[in-house]
Amino acid sequence: MSAHGTAWHVPEDDLRAYARGEATPPRLWSTDTHLASCAQCRETLAALSDPVALDAGWERLDAELDAPRPGLVESLLVRVGVAEHTARLLAATPVLRRSWLGAVLAVLVMTVVAADAVRTTATPTMFLALAPLLPLAGVALSYGPVLDPTYEMTVVSPTHSFRLLMIRTVAVLTVSLGLNGLATLALPSYGLRALAWLLPALALTGSGLALTPRLGPVLAPSLVGGAWIAVLMAARSAAEAHATLAPFTAAGQGVAAAVAVLATGLLYLVRDRFDASRVPLTDTFRGGTA
Amino acid sequence: MPPTVSASGLTLRYGGTVALDDVSLRLGEGVTGLLGPNGAGKTTLLRVLATAVPADRGAFTVLGHDPGSPSGRLDVRRRLGYLPQTPGFHQDFSAFAFVDYVAILKELTDRTARHREVRRVLDAVDLSDVRGKRIKKLSGGMRQRVALAAALVGDPGFLVLDEPTVGLDPEQRMRFRELIAQAGEGRTVLLSTHQTEDVAMLCHRVIVMASGRVRFEGTPAELTARAAGRVWSSTERDPGARAGWRTGTGSFRNVGDPPPGAELLEPTLEDGYLLTLDGETAEVAA
Repeated sequence: MSAHGTAWHVPEDDLRAYARGEATPPRLWSTDTHLASCAQCRETLAALSDPVALDAGWERLDAELDAPRPGLVESLLVRVGVAEHTARLLAATPVLRRSWLGAVLAVLVMTVVAADAVRTTATPTMFLALAPLLPLAGVALSYGPVLDPTYEMTVVSPTHSFRLLMIRTVAVLTVSLGLNGLATLALPSYGLRALAWLLPALALTGSGLALTPRLGPVLAPSLVGGAWIAVLMAARSAAEAHATLAPFTAAGQGVAAAVAVLATGLLYLVRDRFDASRVPLTDTFRGGTA
Repeated sequence: MPPTVSASGLTLRYGGTVALDDVSLRLGEGVTGLLGPNGAGKTTLLRVLATAVPADRGAFTVLGHDPGSPSGRLDVRRRLGYLPQTPGFHQDFSAFAFVDYVAILKELTDRTARHREVRRVLDAVDLSDVRGKRIKKLSGGMRQRVALAAALVGDPGFLVLDEPTVGLDPEQRMRFRELIAQAGEGRTVLLSTHQTEDVAMLCHRVIVMASGRVRFEGTPAELTARAAGRVWSSTERDPGARAGWRTGTGSFRNVGDPPPGAELLEPTLEDGYLLTLDGETAEVAA
């Protein structure tokens, strides 16, 4: 009998690897799933296996039948080589959910359209001002008591808070920088000048994270975001009309790069303080992320 | 046998509020109830003992580990199960996926062993039949059991439960009490609650807190005994009573210093609790 009405069966080499306990995801999952519904492959497996290994295989199959199917994001992450348990931690990141990504995308599209329609300077100022704030906000919202409903359980778990923060930060940065990059491609007439958001984005995100153990996950990114806006306003008042704002000049980019490096170094130095910080545990937000 | 938890002088301030004021205690195997009115400091004490927030002053050990150092904190967290007052969930996860997620946070990275453990704890809280259901489709009682299952992952030696029976209907509450009693076999459980019934049914020890301080530590029988000879019945509210309330028979039950010739009643755990709180009982028992 074939599984799911198809003639496909697990190759014998894969069954041997499975019997030896050497099969790895996602092939392991495919084999588990197929064996659950294919008597022929189960018989082949029994013939290939020694009894002890076979018992372990049945136990694994039992566990597999109970296990939830991983979602789209989780499956993709595993397929590109992310460990299965790390993929599950990432799947629980609030800002990687569709509603958040949709909101970020909408903001970017509107900004790009506005930047293209109202072209008054050599740089897309509005886009360059906004784009660095999106990864800052994304990272800030990926961890902490405000938006992570399981924060209180997470913080008392043996998984190091800094490790979890870094896992989520890398994921959020990859997604948000990727979206910003796509938006940049939509502004080809500005050339490389449309990429002047990248270094400020890294500087703001690094600074926000480095200040979090001292100021908390809300105040730190809020202050950094506020400081960025203040710098832009000061640069606007100091610049001549239609001139490129200082943060987007070569000198400004150099400063942003230096801040990004310093913030990353500071973040490394304070990494242990994420585990023992006095982050207030609010009782006001206990909703889900649905 | 050394205590599972030993704390001395725990003090914590939030702004101008003293949430914990020089709290010392020792917890051994079995279920210990933590009673107290709102704002007594129960949740703060549980968060400190669960290593969610550090105390300003004082020290404690859990199973011999000192959470004051990073390595000690990690050792404590590896032996800890924690059910917060209002546990949050990833609502789109199934019960199995959520407990699996917590198991990953508890360092169970081997998929097969982890899934075996998730099935074990879901069995223990009677949720095997709904393990594939999304959390948002589960009743409040079932969600609370999912959270308890998550706390039980890894067979922790110290289980911290913050008001787990709040919001449950009477039947769910009874079911949950059975689960807590089972969980208390062979491990140390600290159970915060408003309900003296929880303590009477489950706990071999009880701690009463008010205004951030420990007001009583002993057995439920010792707490009840505090009210011996200090509970009486009257047809009208007795103005000399510390607290008094009308019972189902229409008469008043009073606690405090009885007048001469008063008709004394058998004390209950609740009477002992109210007398221990003393001046802070007014809003509770009026």
